[in-house]
Amino acid sequence: MSTGTTDSGRNHPASPRVDTFGCVRCGLTVTTVDPAGDRRNHCPSCLHSRHVVDHVEGGPSECGARMSPISIAVLRNGDWMLVHRCIRCDELTSSAIAPDDNQLILIRMAVRPLAQPPFPLEVFGEL
Amino acid sequence: MGRHRSSGRRPQRYKDVTHGRTGRGDAFRCVACRLDVPLVAPGTAHRNHCPHCLTSLHLDRRVPGDRAAECRGRMTVLSMSVRADGEWQLIHQCRSCGKLGANRIAGDDNPLALLRLALRPLTDSTRPIRALLTL
Repeated sequence: MSTGTTDSGRNHPASPRVDTFGCVRCGLTVTTVDPAGDRRNHCPSCLHSRHVVDHVEGGPSECGARMSPISIAVLRNGDWMLVHRCIRCDELTSSAIAPDDNQLILIRMAVRPLAQPPFPLEVFGEL
Repeated sequence: MGRHRSSGRRPQRYKDVTHGRTGRGDAFRCVACRLDVPLVAPGTAHRNHCPHCLTSLHLDRRVPGDRAAECRGRMTVLSMSVRADGEWQLIHQCRSCGKLGANRIAGDDNPLALLRLALRPLTDSTRPIRALLTL
């Protein structure tokens, strides 16, 4: 989420490509626009976000805490969505993934349920 | 089969939700598949979804169990999440207003439906290759 603009962003209001924000978790400075031209709301390196939009009431949120990625959702057209959870107030949000998001963390989250199944998966081989 | 099962389970919040509006008292009927579901579920005190089709109903607003949402839309299952202690958790999305909700799976949830949901991100075979190429 955009936490503030740098000086270069203020000097060039017509060009949003130079607008940046700092990740609240890893501190990486990232541009607010991803390579595909869409606005991003999470860090491409650690995929963490910031709680600035209240999705229950609508409008800006007063929370402002860090949001950690908890799940991968697959849309009907095969695109992936990232589900975030606020570490302070537990609100859930979903956002589209950007082309330069960390693929290793995405895959790690996708296979995470299979690492700790609640039932033995061997039974499914006999079905 | 949580990795941290030995560290002790987090105590569940006491459930004081009344199901008086359904008129049955000890069961609810699934809005999607019309299955009659008993409220008592093995492994959880907070069953909110059908064990057969995993569909839920949008009743709560911010706090689980507050029954303050006016929406009452159908919540279909969106994805599978894993808590830090290894418990599987369903992410529901309301078809009517788009709100997201999370609920632990119950002991009698359909394992095929759960596994199908957990495997959904892995059906795209190009993505693991792309992840390896970033190394």
